[in-house]
Amino acid sequence: MTAPLFGKILIANRGEIACRVIRTLDAMGIASVAIHHSVEARARHVRMASEAVAIDGETPVGAHLDIDAIVAAALASGADAIHPGYGFLSENARFAAAVEKAGIVFIGPDAATISLMGDKISARAFAEAQGVPVAPSVMPTGDLDDFIARAESIGFPLLIKAAAGGGGKGMSIVRSAEGLREAARIAAGEAQRYFGDGRVYAETYVERPRHIEVQVLGDGDGGAIHLFERECSVQRRFQKIIEEAPAARLDPALRDAICASAVRLAAAARYKNAGTVEYILGADGRFFFLEMNTRLQVEHPVTEMVTGIDLVRAQIEIAAGRGLPAKQGKIAVCGHAIECRICAEDPDRDFLPETGMLAHLGVPEAPWLRFENALDPGQKITADFDPMLAKLVAHGTTRAEAIDRSIAALEGLALLGVTTNIDYLARVLDNAAFRAGDLHTGFVAEQREALAPPPIPPQLRAQVLAAAALGLRDFRELALGTPEPHAAIGGWRN
Amino acid sequence: MSLKLTLDGKVHEVSIVRRRPHLVLRIDGQDHELTELPAEGRGHASMAMGGHAVSFARATVADRQLLRLAGRTFEVGTVDPFSKAGAGGASQDVVRAPMPGAVISVHRRAGEAVARGEVLVTIESMKLQTGLAAPRDGILAAIHRFEGETFEKDEVIATLEPQVDEG
Repeated sequence: MTAPLFGKILIANRGEIACRVIRTLDAMGIASVAIHHSVEARARHVRMASEAVAIDGETPVGAHLDIDAIVAAALASGADAIHPGYGFLSENARFAAAVEKAGIVFIGPDAATISLMGDKISARAFAEAQGVPVAPSVMPTGDLDDFIARAESIGFPLLIKAAAGGGGKGMSIVRSAEGLREAARIAAGEAQRYFGDGRVYAETYVERPRHIEVQVLGDGDGGAIHLFERECSVQRRFQKIIEEAPAARLDPALRDAICASAVRLAAAARYKNAGTVEYILGADGRFFFLEMNTRLQVEHPVTEMVTGIDLVRAQIEIAAGRGLPAKQGKIAVCGHAIECRICAEDPDRDFLPETGMLAHLGVPEAPWLRFENALDPGQKITADFDPMLAKLVAHGTTRAEAIDRSIAALEGLALLGVTTNIDYLARVLDNAAFRAGDLHTGFVAEQREALAPPPIPPQLRAQVLAAAALGLRDFRELALGTPEPHAAIGGWRN
Repeated sequence: MSLKLTLDGKVHEVSIVRRRPHLVLRIDGQDHELTELPAEGRGHASMAMGGHAVSFARATVADRQLLRLAGRTFEVGTVDPFSKAGAGGASQDVVRAPMPGAVISVHRRAGEAVARGEVLVTIESMKLQTGLAAPRDGILAAIHRFEGETFEKDEVIATLEPQVDEG
């Protein structure tokens, strides 16, 4: 328990997550090293860090993916560990191996574990071997009759897919044995036409699937605990936009079963670090392993808020050999937390990314609120990096309170100069189905009409127009006291 | 003449009814009394209108105002070119379309002298006809869109001959 902690840690990341990691390093008395491309030399994470190293790169993203340059920066700055954050190189086995080879501690699992979990097929096979449920599927054979017989045996509804496919081609949902042969024949024909490969496979189709994931911590010696689950069912473009902990509605026995299977997986893999085991949960209560993320998750703050455990500190202590932060029995969920991802995008135009300039930033403050960001007023919002600008995380004693507080915080948040999804997120939270916890990954599409911007009430419209008119210098001068009532400053006469 | 603002795809009119004892604005035909006026400039401000306290945040990007009020974000454009307060230089040489639309009629021709405020082109946007006026006195260099032609927001509809600085 007295293994020495690190003196200096390089953060191989940027933006809000780099700032968030540095906060914990500061609290732990560990020096921090930021890395940056030349376009972000004055960014918040660079200013926050004890020191910073510039990484050259043709593109800003390229700099953050340059394994050799980042390892060299760590060596040159005397860092004894690297925290990879999320995204970029955080799940890159080559990076983890290169860091270890340089004699630096990688704050994450070893390269072999990253490789195991990074490959969908090997991860699925490993999970299945540990008794973690995976979606039943039937792999293709040359014999259609044999395929149909085996597909029927796993039950309906089934999703028929082209083995070589993608983009929905050759894909269909089959709900009964009668339709199976015809669907398989059509799918095989389409697969042949589109992909030159007529093999099809079938897997269990989960209706109204929910995305449930379990936060785990492993000590690398087979010890593992869970920090309960998160629900991330509200997604657009296959990416999460609202996450919460605990799940909106989950039977306690089912919660226990899901969390226990995640711990089993982490323990069997002798997993070292914080990790997330993702599941798909059907309306019928069946759950299936999706994948394991071997890093800190974007939505980790909701777990921190309900468990009171600093996950970055836990990652660092595990990497330093100090073991897990608490025994399973000591970990409890207190209240409810919701994270909203604030993105530069236009929800009214299919969530397309937007660019602009941050002309004004106004952030509400409350003891139950975390606003994770690296924004600076005047900053350009470009397409160089991910469109996620910030995360707004609110805690409440109940889910309803967390929702109300999140809405209040979103309403008080002003981020002007680039189109964002702030108003949309508030509409989602206030949506009746969301409040009822009736969530599934098709929620955004299903509630599309209910989530459209409501008309502007006349009184609000008048307030906006008055505020705007009085923001125009000429009109303002005219309104505020030009002596003659018929003065024509700027051409208006009244 | 009233101030024309665009909001939510429509043109709205704001004019001053009186200033004393309190400012009264006529907004789309309805009178509203402001007992407390908002501070100028960017950022957070508050006002009292029709007996209601209203707080909001404001920023200006190019010729648009962005307002955050009652938990919603609004983008307000200005139809009248005179509203480009402080805008000088090249922006005073061109007349841009405030919204996408079509030209209804062209009133002046290239080479003619025009006066500030004089309507050069009448356009129709969002089923509403609006005159695009000259931003200053000068010589009309070119009209770029003619009767029946359509245009996008911010397209240059007319250009004035550059102003020669005297002195």
